[in-house]
Amino acid sequence: MTGDVWSFSENAAVASEVALAAEGLAPAVQGGPVVVEVGRARDGVRGGGERLVLQGCPQDGPAEALAECISRAAKSLGPAIILVGATREGREVAARLAVKLDVGCLPEASRISSDGKTVSAERSVYAGRVSATLTSPLPCVVTVRPGSFAKSTGATGTVRNYDAGTPEVRVRRLGSSRRETGSVDLKSAKVIVSAGRGVKRKEDLPMLEGLASEMKGALGCSRPLSSDLGWLSEEHHIGLTGVVVKPDLYLAVGISGQLQHIAGMKDSKVVAAVNTDRDAPIFQASDYGIVGDLYQVVPALRKALSARH
Amino acid sequence: MNVAVCVKHAVDEGELRFDPAGRPLIEGAAGKMGAFDKNAVEAALRVRSEVGGEVVGVTVGGADARKSLKEALAMGADRGVHVLDEPHLLNPSRTSALLAASLREAGQFDLVLCAEGSSDTYSGLVPPMVAERLGYAYVGYARKLGVTASEVRAERSLEESIESVASPLPAVISVVSEANEPRYPTLIQIMQASKKPVAEVRAQDLLSAGGTHSVTIGSMFAHSTDRKRIFLEGTTDEAAAKLVDALRKEGVISV
Ligand SMILES: Cc1cc2nc3c(=O)[nH]c(=O)nc-3n(C[C@H](O)[C@H](O)[C@H](O)COP(=O)(O)OP(=O)(O)OC[C@H]3O[C@@H](n4cnc5c(N)ncnc54)[C@H](O)[C@@H]3O)c2cc1C
Ligand SMILES: Nc1ncnc2c1ncn2[C@@H]1O[C@H](COP(=O)(O)O)[C@@H](O)[C@H]1O
Repeated sequence: MTGDVWSFSENAAVASEVALAAEGLAPAVQGGPVVVEVGRARDGVRGGGERLVLQGCPQDGPAEALAECISRAAKSLGPAIILVGATREGREVAARLAVKLDVGCLPEASRISSDGKTVSAERSVYAGRVSATLTSPLPCVVTVRPGSFAKSTGATGTVRNYDAGTPEVRVRRLGSSRRETGSVDLKSAKVIVSAGRGVKRKEDLPMLEGLASEMKGALGCSRPLSSDLGWLSEEHHIGLTGVVVKPDLYLAVGISGQLQHIAGMKDSKVVAAVNTDRDAPIFQASDYGIVGDLYQVVPALRKALSARH
Repeated sequence: MNVAVCVKHAVDEGELRFDPAGRPLIEGAAGKMGAFDKNAVEAALRVRSEVGGEVVGVTVGGADARKSLKEALAMGADRGVHVLDEPHLLNPSRTSALLAASLREAGQFDLVLCAEGSSDTYSGLVPPMVAERLGYAYVGYARKLGVTASEVRAERSLEESIESVASPLPAVISVVSEANEPRYPTLIQIMQASKKPVAEVRAQDLLSAGGTHSVTIGSMFAHSTDRKRIFLEGTTDEAAAKLVDALRKEGVISV
């Protein structure tokens, strides 16, 4: 079938990545890439091709409303493929869209291709141990793993407004608070120092942050530090349920190296690890390892970095 | 309050074996209850202890999936529904259609609890698809829940923010792992679980009107990255200096 390839994310940075995926895919279905925007076109969103601006819908969601608006437009305009950034909100948008449009859905794609009749998406499964290619007939909704595509630099084409009406919303937002622990852009960091449960107290994180900044890098963490302990925001959380990173250097400090964590950093160029346990699985996934207490090794690393050579 | 909880019998990622060509041996692979699904069961049990009612565990999977259902019953669910389907289909449309259809048959539910994602094929799509199919409200990634007779309040854990919401019932809720600490069933509870009722339904009987959108699995292969696995030995200072040296030689740090 032929048709356009739509891309959508409520997150502006992810929207530009998904737009690039749509640009790559559009020729295969003999359509154009279309960046779908809700309420108004955002300045920060890049992407070649048409801007489809859905009027009527509340700009900042919730997902329930976004999905309804996009599905109304899709029912009348008939895109071949709809790509949605696989953020926490985006997954709900995609899931609802696929059901509303009664089309298939391929999740967590890191690569996407089409032969004009079907769409194929590569994703990782079984805690990142396996890479699988899944195929579904067109039309289809695909959720795209953030970080898998670069950001589009494409120029905006024609803007097309579509009145999608104002949908009913059941879930009421009572309030929202930004996470206190700040944000970080790990996807563009060349060096990542990543903290795990081996770090005993939140107050010890500045020591690792110091090491990271001396290496011109950023601080990341394992899931327990962000999700369970709340020491760092979810944007620092690396792995299956967090972000996927591919820095030049990934230095895991006090991280055991469970499969779900490895899933998020295994494509790093060089991996190094510091851990007290010589048998920790992280050493199997590392190029360089130091068996030792991070409270001694980290200061020693900082000293070695500052030494003249 | 009638609560359903969706538990998946997931492939045990740690036990997965591969053939010499690097293809995973999915058929016959060991399984276990999805790690986060235990948090969903725990959340369901806590709702029951606060407002009363029944907890029904539901699973879609092969014959083996009965094990995870039994585990939910051992943790405290009152009864189970097992939708017998081909295992490992990697198709959230089908799974959610089967869950929604079996929930419609199994009773009137006020709450359907799920986990944020399944531990083997994490996609986070099944719970919102179930909500959309049933016409229920949906609250994803809940880390705190408060339920009254008419509504549920939740704190959602999003990437950049914590959002509090109120939702009418019935609702589908997905929980994150920090929502609670799942209980361990006692030996007696495990023994008693086999006496609890489990209804078995065949997938083809639920979806007789036609299938769901097909997903075919083209290829599967093991990820492998070769690493050097060099331990840097010596005193702490020596090892640290060696590491910094090695990283400079690799050209991955510019200091
Ligand atoms: C479905 C699912 C998805 C998940 N997704 C993710 C994910 O995306 N990202 C993620 O990170 N996790 C994820 N997890 C959790 C994952 O399985 C592990 O539980 C988690 O990664 C462990 O974090 P950790 O290595 O920091 O802690 P631990 O496993 O507790 O390891 C701590 C390590 O620190 C070492 N240590 C202790 N003291 C010191 C010291 N003084 N100096 C040096 N080393 C020390 C210990 O030897 C140990 O190896 C997921 C789990 C599930 C079930
Ligand atoms: N086969 C299944 N049987 C029962 N519940 C499931 C099944 N698959 C997914 N779920 C539920 O949906 C959640 C999210 O799964 P997923 O969309 O696969 O990430 C799981 O944690 C379960 O609560």
